[in-house]
Amino acid sequence: MTRGRAGALAVAAALLLLSLALGFLAGGVRLSLPDLFSGQGPAGETARLIASLRFPRVLLAALVGGCLALAGAALQALLKNPLADPFLLGTSGGAATGAALAVMAGLSPFLSPAAAFAGAVVASLGVAAMARRGGRLDLQRLLLAGLIANAFFSALLLLVFSVVSGEAARTMIFWMMGSLADATPGRALVLLPYAAAAGAVLLLSASRLNLFAVGEENAAALGVDTEKSKGIVFLAASLLTGAAVAFAGVIGFVGLLVPHAARSAVGNDQRVLLPVSAIAGAALLVAADALARSLFAPAELPIGAVTAAVGAPLFAWMLLRNR
Amino acid sequence: MTILRARGLEASYGPTPALAGVDADVEKGEIAAVLGENGSGKSTLLKVLARIVPASAGEVRLDDRPLASMPRRETARRIAYVPQSVDLVFPIRALDLVLQGRAPHNRGFASDSPEDRRRALEAMRACDVESLAERDASALSGGEQRRVFLARALAQDADVWLLDEPASGLDPRHRLELLEILARAHRERRATILLVTHEIDLAADLADRVLLLRSGRTLAQGPPAEVLTPENLRRAFSVESRIEVDSAGRRRWVPVAPAR
Repeated sequence: MTRGRAGALAVAAALLLLSLALGFLAGGVRLSLPDLFSGQGPAGETARLIASLRFPRVLLAALVGGCLALAGAALQALLKNPLADPFLLGTSGGAATGAALAVMAGLSPFLSPAAAFAGAVVASLGVAAMARRGGRLDLQRLLLAGLIANAFFSALLLLVFSVVSGEAARTMIFWMMGSLADATPGRALVLLPYAAAAGAVLLLSASRLNLFAVGEENAAALGVDTEKSKGIVFLAASLLTGAAVAFAGVIGFVGLLVPHAARSAVGNDQRVLLPVSAIAGAALLVAADALARSLFAPAELPIGAVTAAVGAPLFAWMLLRNR
Repeated sequence: MTILRARGLEASYGPTPALAGVDADVEKGEIAAVLGENGSGKSTLLKVLARIVPASAGEVRLDDRPLASMPRRETARRIAYVPQSVDLVFPIRALDLVLQGRAPHNRGFASDSPEDRRRALEAMRACDVESLAERDASALSGGEQRRVFLARALAQDADVWLLDEPASGLDPRHRLELLEILARAHRERRATILLVTHEIDLAADLADRVLLLRSGRTLAQGPPAEVLTPENLRRAFSVESRIEVDSAGRRRWVPVAPAR
């Protein structure tokens, strides 16, 4: 058991290293390592400049991918639903709307992440409030409330989108389709503590989530304070999603697909599945971003479109394989 | 000695009341059968006792201690709940499902130390499902799944077992096997059992005490011979019936017609 666990983690970590290397070296311009470390003159300067631009971007991609995949995996277990997705709970719509409203109000773009985060928190709390029934958080209602919130926020976004123009419209597309183009070391550093804290909370909940994966009643019968656990996991997953969206917009499919693929590789023990999902999600998004930057360089593809274009066929393949 | 005592127990799902004042006393080591028509509150009573559904009024005492003031995990070490069936969405090894029974005993609800494994396998052996340990529990038959969940209750090492229709939906052989395993486990572990059933004859044969529910209230409780009278059964099930004694001397309940 523990040996299999260590093995799975090692494989995932190796994958992540590989994709970090790819993300660092690939792009519109291939980064030459000799130039970077010992290059003299313009060649060396260019290499160091590229590295300094790429480094925060790769780091941000890894963090965002890890956040989304971990949140997705935890929600799938909590809701006992393999189709649960961090974006299904209204968090992403709330974040994008928050950012859009900030843009419309003429706030500095530096405040957009904060506005997106606030939007995510407001949306999650609203969804949780809608899902309460008889003093309890009803997991079935949670999914429906998330669906309602997402539909509402999508509509709101389109309405805002249709009245803004120029730069504001471009910024909004960023939030709706997702992008890592605005990565800076500062942003990655701001995201890091959120990701670490909320991620740790979820990883520590892994054994409880194993009981939830069989059912909420199952967890309750085995001594889990289910109301408390549901609140903690939902809040931590929302924080992770909100933080990821705040810095990278809405990047679909990572939170849904990665836990699925990881589950078919390592099984459904959340103590293994959660960390493996986080690492694999980081690896996937770094690789997808490298692809988005290099395929039609110097043009850059929207990252959300890349993850969906890669994710949907992969998902279809997994579905057909189990027929 | 009374191990489980409920007084004025009420519970509801949203606006729908499910229990409207249940009184129950269960003695240590006995088998108590809960009977009543569909919707009378039988399953809800088990869920309130297992602390899956909160009581909105009334009180449950375990060994004369209020259940509500007991830490949840401690309750789970004393009371095991065996559901009628579970919809397993994710694949899970039968052994891992049984190991979950160890969760309330361990820090952080982890459950796979060598000692946990030993106890889980021992419980699976007692329920004749040891050979299924590595199989995916979601792919097992209904009868096998029922025994795996029973094994989990054994692994949980609780002294009170709450069983929701343990024998329903099983073919005659699996039903008899399950009841045999249950009787053996009850004997060996000296557990107290509260089981919900629709089979009046099963209650009469197996139980030391019968609890008859109607519309979320206790209609009658006591030894089967006192409680399972045609008069009580008419009030509980709205059915006219008579009691016959078969050649082995067992009382059989024969429904005759819906009561008018």
